[in-house]
Amino acid sequence: MSTEPKSPGNGRAQQNPILRVEGVVKRFGENTILNDVSFNVQPGEVVVIVGPSGTGKSTFLRCVNGLEDIQGGRIVFEGQTVNARSRKVIALRRRIGMIFQNFNLYPHLTAVENVTIAPIKVLREPRDSAKERAMELFRKVRLEHRASAYPSEMSGGEQQRVAIARALAMNPSLMMFDEPTSALDPETVGDVLTVMEELAADGSTMLVVTHEMAFADHVGDRMLFMDGGSIIEDGPPEELLRNPKEERTRQFVNSVLRPDTARRRQSNGAAADPG
Amino acid sequence: MYDFNIEAMYPFFDKLPAAIWTTVEISFLATIFSAILGIFLALMRRSDRLMLRAIATTYVEIIRNMPLLVLLYLVFFGLPAFGIVLSGFLSGLIALTLNSAAFMTEIFRAGLIAVPKGQYEAARSQGMTRSRMYLSVILPQILRVSYAPLGNQIIGVIMGSSIMMIATVEEVTAWMNNTGAVTYRYFEAFVVVAVVYLVLCQGTNLLRNLLGRLIFKSVAAGGRW
Repeated sequence: MSTEPKSPGNGRAQQNPILRVEGVVKRFGENTILNDVSFNVQPGEVVVIVGPSGTGKSTFLRCVNGLEDIQGGRIVFEGQTVNARSRKVIALRRRIGMIFQNFNLYPHLTAVENVTIAPIKVLREPRDSAKERAMELFRKVRLEHRASAYPSEMSGGEQQRVAIARALAMNPSLMMFDEPTSALDPETVGDVLTVMEELAADGSTMLVVTHEMAFADHVGDRMLFMDGGSIIEDGPPEELLRNPKEERTRQFVNSVLRPDTARRRQSNGAAADPG
Repeated sequence: MYDFNIEAMYPFFDKLPAAIWTTVEISFLATIFSAILGIFLALMRRSDRLMLRAIATTYVEIIRNMPLLVLLYLVFFGLPAFGIVLSGFLSGLIALTLNSAAFMTEIFRAGLIAVPKGQYEAARSQGMTRSRMYLSVILPQILRVSYAPLGNQIIGVIMGSSIMMIATVEEVTAWMNNTGAVTYRYFEAFVVVAVVYLVLCQGTNLLRNLLGRLIFKSVAAGGRW
């Protein structure tokens, strides 16, 4: 089922969304992964996508920056139609930061080299200013002391924060997170979520696929619940989590917000509050 | 009992450095050229295009299953039949390069397979072009995986260069043959040449090791890289 987005954020600037997704269909052979997915993202909005595993959430992110092509519908980013088969998509990807579940840092490069390689080689920035900017970003993600470490010498949480710095180094206008904390040890999850929360507070436009309900609730402006390749429900997180309209959403929320999860939500929420 | 007399070799030692140089030269050039060819063929073998895959695979399978000696015969004695006459050195270099490229292809292909898919995705998501991605992200990781088997292949090239004698290349084995023929002391000549090859190969191996340590410096620091 595809619904017109009905979030408050959407009414704000209906005329000028940064990302427009219109009836997107994605198939792998006979399998339909995404079925008529539509929604808009406004500048500065944090949209979290939740739902059971295997419902096409990650695939959807990969369609947005053209890592996967689509079989139907349209994705328009900053007024430009995303076409995975066109060479233009290469330039478009420079404006979209992507964070992966498994970090995907370049293992042959140090943290600072990971962050500077694309600005230097792709954006042709001078080496010195790229490095300066990298150090600035390392302060932002609280990793100044790890700048010359190799990924293999870092914890998962540190690697993911380097990956965030690497994406930010390109000055993207949209940051996409594909289950950024799913591969992390529990004790390092908080560090990554804090950084993401600060990004959101800075006004970054973010599209986040996550299973961290506390984060989604706390930081998301809008929540999309996806199941079976379609958006089932789209609205403010507190609405979806506490007062879901669709039966399927209700089932999902009940299953992820078991008492033990609820307890973690509280403690996470407390940890994420710096004040 | 055989009267082993290494001194019989002494008068011929003055010609040995030139022979060694020729062996080093042809082996070095063949290694470089076949490595470059091998990288491209390895990429072709992983291409989406059936045609490219077919060409690369056919090349590898034909060359890999043909003795180097036969390949050398084809280049040195076969090509002139089509009006292409090349010098002995050039024929040898071509044969050695073509042969080694097939094995290099397989070495680099293994390296390519070892690079996780996520590396390609990360590079592409950063807006790298295909060539930039291969140059800055994929190739360094291939070399990291490949540089150990590469050592084997370089030794293979040096060994293979001994066959170039057939194409009148004045390399170390040719020195052995000439010196043996003149002195009738083949055994001593064999021993000298065996030592020369041992030193050459071990020397290259040490050099490769050293380079590897410099390039992949964190290996020394105990990291995976």
